[in-house]
Amino acid sequence: MKRLVRENALALCFLLLFLVTLAGQSVAGAAAFNEEQVAEGGSPVTWAHYVTSSSFAVDVAENWQSEYLQFFLYILITAWLIQRGSPESKKRGEEGLESDAEQKVGPHAGPGSPAWAAAPGWRRTVFSHSLGIVMGLLFLLSWLAQSVAGLAAYNNEQLAQLEDPVDWVGYVTSPDFWNRTLQNWQSEFLAVASMVLLAIFLRERGSPQSKKVGDPHSETASTG
Amino acid sequence: MGIRATAVVCLALVAPALIVTGCASAEDTSVAGTAERFLSAAGEGRGGEACLLLAPRAARSLDDCEKQIVSAGLRAGAVRGVDVWGDEARVRVDGDTLFLHRFPDGWRVRAAGCESRPDQSHTGQPYECEVET
Repeated sequence: MKRLVRENALALCFLLLFLVTLAGQSVAGAAAFNEEQVAEGGSPVTWAHYVTSSSFAVDVAENWQSEYLQFFLYILITAWLIQRGSPESKKRGEEGLESDAEQKVGPHAGPGSPAWAAAPGWRRTVFSHSLGIVMGLLFLLSWLAQSVAGLAAYNNEQLAQLEDPVDWVGYVTSPDFWNRTLQNWQSEFLAVASMVLLAIFLRERGSPQSKKVGDPHSETASTG
Repeated sequence: MGIRATAVVCLALVAPALIVTGCASAEDTSVAGTAERFLSAAGEGRGGEACLLLAPRAARSLDDCEKQIVSAGLRAGAVRGVDVWGDEARVRVDGDTLFLHRFPDGWRVRAAGCESRPDQSHTGQPYECEVET
């Protein structure tokens, strides 16, 4: 058990942080929601009512979609574009999908390689892009969830303000939907660009996301 | 996939839709019922009954709720449409539009005698209402 925890500590740590912060968001969100309800002449709702509401769902989904988009694009783009000096980047000349030998697929697969890495045809193709595919799907599903929950939350607000509700097409072309979407995207892209650039010149001793402390600034694709 | 597994998957996919649809129509009936009772009471001079169906803030917005609500010109009419989104609802009847809010003890009217403004096109122009919070 102790060994299992230690060997999966990174994932467990972030899953725990996720649950704690999601719980925190639900408590703070319910308080903010109730302040608004009372101000509009409505009645406060319970925590259970709030966490099953479209208001909570859209706030969660809009952040999820942007995180999955960030990782989806990062996974895809770092295969093709490099950044000199960044530990997040491949070296110059390595751009692209690389050879089968470098990727250990097909006849180059080793005894420990996953079965689909050695398999011919579509299975190898799918497995070769499985991380990007799943991240991309999670992004699309989260974005769809944002649009559906956002529509419900938006129409709830519209009716509270004595205005007409809109349909799904009306919502996904509305300023509210794109404001929620783009405010999350811009922050993700800024964070990635900051990481790529700052990691050229700054170090975090012991972190695989950083170069070794003594590595030259110009060294690309090294981790500490 | 066997027939039983297929049936289970189908049920899992369809059941939530049925529940949502079922809940939505039950909710619609409840909202429409409140709106109809309110309009009937106001239209037939039963001010006390109508005021009990108003949201507290809407009732307080009238100096003498029981008298003013019956003189607001509200009349019962056939329900033309119900929209429920979360705890808010809009009911359109012949010649009137009402907005309701769900309180712990049920739906209450927060605005009645509402007409859309002539230039309203989802651009943040609320309805104009005879009675509102």
